[in-house]
Amino acid sequence: MSLPPMIAALRKHKAGVVLIALQIALTLAIVCNAVFIIYARIQNVQRRTGLDETNLFLVTQQWVGAPSGDSPADLEKLDTMLREDLNALGSMPGVESVTPVNSVPLFPSSWNGSESLKPGTDMRAGNARTTFYFGDEQLLKTFGLHLVAGRNFTAADVAHKALRDSSEPNVIIVTKPLADKLFPQGDALGKAIYLDGSNTPSTIVGEVERLQVPSVGSWASSFVWNSTIAPLRMNSNFSRYAVRTKPGRLEAVMRAVPSKLYAVNAMRVLDDDSVKSFKDIRAEAYRADIGMAVLMGVICLILLAVTAAGIVGLTSFWVGQRHRQIGVRRALGARKIDILHYFQMENLMIAGGGALVGIVLAVALNRVLMSKFEMQSMPAYYVLAGLAVVVALGQIAVFVPARRASNVPPVVATRSV
Amino acid sequence: MLKMTHLSKVYRTEVVETYALRDFNIDVKEGEFVAVTGPSGSGKTTFLTIAGLLETFTGGTYHLDNLDVSNLDDNARSKIRNEKIGFIFQAFNLIPDLNVFDNVEVPLRYRGMKAPERKERIMGALERVGLASRAKHYPAELSGGQQQRVAIARALAGSPRLLLADEPTGNLDTQMARGVMELLEEIHRDGATIVMVTHDPELAARAQRNVHVIDGQVVDLAEDPRFHTAYAAAAGQVRG
Repeated sequence: MSLPPMIAALRKHKAGVVLIALQIALTLAIVCNAVFIIYARIQNVQRRTGLDETNLFLVTQQWVGAPSGDSPADLEKLDTMLREDLNALGSMPGVESVTPVNSVPLFPSSWNGSESLKPGTDMRAGNARTTFYFGDEQLLKTFGLHLVAGRNFTAADVAHKALRDSSEPNVIIVTKPLADKLFPQGDALGKAIYLDGSNTPSTIVGEVERLQVPSVGSWASSFVWNSTIAPLRMNSNFSRYAVRTKPGRLEAVMRAVPSKLYAVNAMRVLDDDSVKSFKDIRAEAYRADIGMAVLMGVICLILLAVTAAGIVGLTSFWVGQRHRQIGVRRALGARKIDILHYFQMENLMIAGGGALVGIVLAVALNRVLMSKFEMQSMPAYYVLAGLAVVVALGQIAVFVPARRASNVPPVVATRSV
Repeated sequence: MLKMTHLSKVYRTEVVETYALRDFNIDVKEGEFVAVTGPSGSGKTTFLTIAGLLETFTGGTYHLDNLDVSNLDDNARSKIRNEKIGFIFQAFNLIPDLNVFDNVEVPLRYRGMKAPERKERIMGALERVGLASRAKHYPAELSGGQQQRVAIARALAGSPRLLLADEPTGNLDTQMARGVMELLEEIHRDGATIVMVTHDPELAARAQRNVHVIDGQVVDLAEDPRFHTAYAAAAGQVRG
């Protein structure tokens, strides 16, 4: 078998060849980028937050008729109510620890800001963006965080304040990535930094290995590991508690929480969504990503199927059109396998040509997506894998019609019609 | 060269058996030019397809170039078709997507011949049929007679032991038919063995020997009254 006569023959069928090659090129370009996006989403979904997720749940509740917290007396009252809840939750059988929190990773509520090495810096000009988590000395234990440097908060470090109080904490714990960003020399411990453009310094007393920010949106991707923990109980007419249970006790404790809290104070609202396991929080956070990945996966499969169907259709058409010609080739000495190889080689040339155009389109599409949607640069092996897939797909799709062609008997050459 | 003994070809359906060839006997010697004649439906084309290993047969024996080809598999039959037999078809059967050179090259490629030898043989064959200057033309750019000459060149290029021609002038006008026939005669004079199927008595008369087929059997014309009726009818059609 030789390519020049085959190319010459293909040139006689330009329209079909160009259309199928273009379809293969577009399939390659779209599938490569789609798979790259899917993989990026899966990587996002699978990344560890840094928490002990298995045994963690979150309680969000609102008091009815609670004081506003504007006066010092009201603030104290709110804090007392909050501590009563903490004590009640902490005393439940099966509870390992509990802490008041404003949010947890992957939860659709976050408190974001910036940190500077200098006082009074405009927030947008800070040295690093961050998410703030507020909690007490039990937060590290409750979250299951791994302290890699410095110390945990003590009860004395923990303050309480109203939601609108802009005063900053004296001490903070930061994640290691944030510490390294602020102090690349690795000497963040004991250093003072300024939160949200404040003039009051906060001293870094500890570093935790890993703590993801709440948001899973692409806008937060630049500081996804930059978390700051402040020793604060935030007093308001609502409160949120993170509870870590002993292994295997999560569901039982979650079921018992509403009655326990109502026993402390019945004047509160706890709805079906108020007690939520971290597993559910994770599922909700990534529902859109998983849905998008599945949708793109299905679209890729449909696209590949349509392309395969196109190849089958065109090859079947050509086999029908060249029925007599195949018989003549057989009469002149072609074996069945020669006919099979002829169509496979022909498909390889078309798919190969389409794939080469597809590589260019795939890279161009990636560049466009990078410029418009903050997508990463697609590694070359995605394109090479895509090339292998479309070429293999072409060979699989062409096999059945090519085999049918190889079964055309040589006697066809002698038939007049 | 070609010897069929008691050969039969039966087409079977669920309800009926049709004998295309029955107790068919023929012996073509090397260097002979034999015309196989007979009316339409007599089985002469079936004979040709079996002789060319394009079809299998049901019973009897067939020796081609002293080789019993009765039980060969498909690949072996393809190899013999490619190396020992040259075909000339009524409808020329050139591949329209390939130019003259590439058309003549087709059987040589299946033989796995090296490019320089292929080129030498192709140009030699085209020169012999007087079409070397048309090597880059496509079939659609040639007359019917030229197309058949290309087909003959394709059949000759592989230096086959046997040339099988199926109504080689059937699609040509008288002048072109004469040219093609003269070419076949010239090829025969050079030593080729040719078996030509035709229902044209004029054409058959130019062969060395005629074999007459009626109802799937080779018949002796002097003794078989069926021939006289069928032959007269066929001759009448040709003249009409």
